Amino acid sequence: MFKGLVKWARVKSPWILHMNCGSCNGCDIEILAALIPRLDVERFGVLLKGTPRHADVLVCTGPVTKQMKERLKRVYDQMPEPKFVVVVGQCGSSGGIYQGAYGVEGGIDTVIPVNAYIPGCPPRPDAIADGLIKLLASIDKGGKP
Amino acid sequence: MVCGKGVEGIDILLTLLYLFIFPGFLFLFAFSLFTEYLDRKIYARMQRRVGPPFLQPFADLVKLAAKEDVVPEKAEHFMFTAAPIIGLAAIFAAYLYLPIVSSTGLHSFNGDLVVVLYLLTIPTLALFLGGWYSGNVFGQKGGMRVASLLFSYEIPFFLALLTPALIEGSWKMADIVHFEISHPLEFIVSLLGFVIALIALQGKLERLPFDIPEAETEIVAGPLVEYSGRRLALFRLARDAEMVVGAGLLAVVFLAGPEPIVQLEPVYLSWIVGALVFLVKTLFVIFLLILMKSAVARIRTDQMISFAYKWLIPLALVQIFIAIMVRFLGGI
Repeated sequence: MFKGLVKWARVKSPWILHMNCGSCNGCDIEILAALIPRLDVERFGVLLKGTPRHADVLVCTGPVTKQMKERLKRVYDQMPEPKFVVVVGQCGSSGGIYQGAYGVEGGIDTVIPVNAYIPGCPPRPDAIADGLIKLLASIDKGGKP
Repeated sequence: MVCGKGVEGIDILLTLLYLFIFPGFLFLFAFSLFTEYLDRKIYARMQRRVGPPFLQPFADLVKLAAKEDVVPEKAEHFMFTAAPIIGLAAIFAAYLYLPIVSSTGLHSFNGDLVVVLYLLTIPTLALFLGGWYSGNVFGQKGGMRVASLLFSYEIPFFLALLTPALIEGSWKMADIVHFEISHPLEFIVSLLGFVIALIALQGKLERLPFDIPEAETEIVAGPLVEYSGRRLALFRLARDAEMVVGAGLLAVVFLAGPEPIVQLEPVYLSWIVGALVFLVKTLFVIFLLILMKSAVARIRTDQMISFAYKWLIPLALVQIFIAIMVRFLGGI
C-alpha cells in the first residue's frame, strides 16, 4: 500500500538540480528557459533547488572536463537516494564535438549512471520539459524505484 | 479536566477528539498542507502560470519522508535531528491555545496570548540551531541571518499584538474575543496594529520580501542547505503550520476569531459554525500574506533592519499610545 503511495509521490514531485559540467552555456540557457512561467513546469511538481541534498533529479549539461569529473561525482554522491540523472544536449550525451579533446573526459555517462538523454544542440525548452516528463513516466511504469 | 468553558462537561473521548482530530493535530496537518497549496497556486496565478496540482504539498511531504536521510559528517547529530522536531512541537503546542471552535481554546488562562507569542518564537530559534549545527558554511551564514533578523520583526510583532490586550485590559484571548464582538469599533482603533502585525508576520515566516535567511540566489537554501529527507519534511511542515498558527493568531486577536458564535442545540453544531467563521478569517489573513509575497521582491538585510526600526517599531508605539488614550478617555 505504502509502496504505491511513495511511487506516486516520487513521480509527482521531482525537484531538480542544474549542473554545468563544462558546457558552452547554450544548454543551460535553454534549461532556464524551460523553467519560465510560459512552460510552467511547476504544474508537474518540478522545482529548481540549489542544493544537492534537496534534489531528486540531477540535470547535467556539457562534456565532462577533467577538472569537473571529481566535482560531478561528489555532487552526485551528495544527493540522497533515490536519485535520477538527466543529460541535456549532445555534448553531455556523447562528448559531442569535444570528443577526444585533451581536457575532456567524455559524456556524462562515463562518470555517473544516466537515466535519460535529451539530444539537441541545444534542445528546445519544450524538449527538455518533455524529456523530464518521459523520465517520470518511465519511473511510474516501474523502472528503477 | 483542563477544558475551557466551551468543552465543559464533555467526556474524555471528546477531549481526545479535540486534541488529535478536530480541531487538533490532524486538522492542523491537513490545513497546513492546504495553505501551502493555496500559497503556491495563488502565487502562480498571479504570475499567469497554472500552478501546482491540489495534492502537490502532500506529494512533496511523502516523497521527502521516503527519501534517504543524510546527516553530514561535520554536523552535530543530536542538534541536527532535534531542531526540526522542536520547531514542529512548539507550533503544535501553540495551536492548542488558539480559540477555534468556541471563544476558549482547549485550555484558556490569563496570559495565554503571551505564551502563544513565545511558542511562536521557538521555530525561528530551531531554524537557527539547525543551520548552525549543520556544519555547512551556507547553513551557518543562513543561521546567523535568522538570528540577526529575529529582533527586527519580533519587537513590532509583540507590540502590535499587545494593542488589543491593552484596549481590553486582559492577557486572555477569550476576553479579547468577547470584547471585540461587543465593541466592533475596536477593529478600527487597532487597524494600524493589524497592518504592522501582518508585515512582521511575513518577516517571521521568512517569506518575500523578508526571505533574507533563505535567499536561494545568494546562500543556496540558508539554514536548510544540509537537510534532506524526513528532517527537511518536518521543517517544511513546521513552516506551513507556523503560517496557519500565525494567521490564526492575527484572526483571533484582531478579527475576533470564531465569534460571533450562534448558540445552537446540540452544542457541537455551534462549534462547527465557530470553526467555519475562524477558517474564513484565517484564510483572509493568509490571502493577504500571499498577496504581499507576490507583489514585492527581496530586500537586503540592512534595509530590513532599518525599515523595522525606523517605521515598524515607531508606528507600533504610536498604536500603543492610541490604545492607551482610548482606554483613558473612557473606552470605545
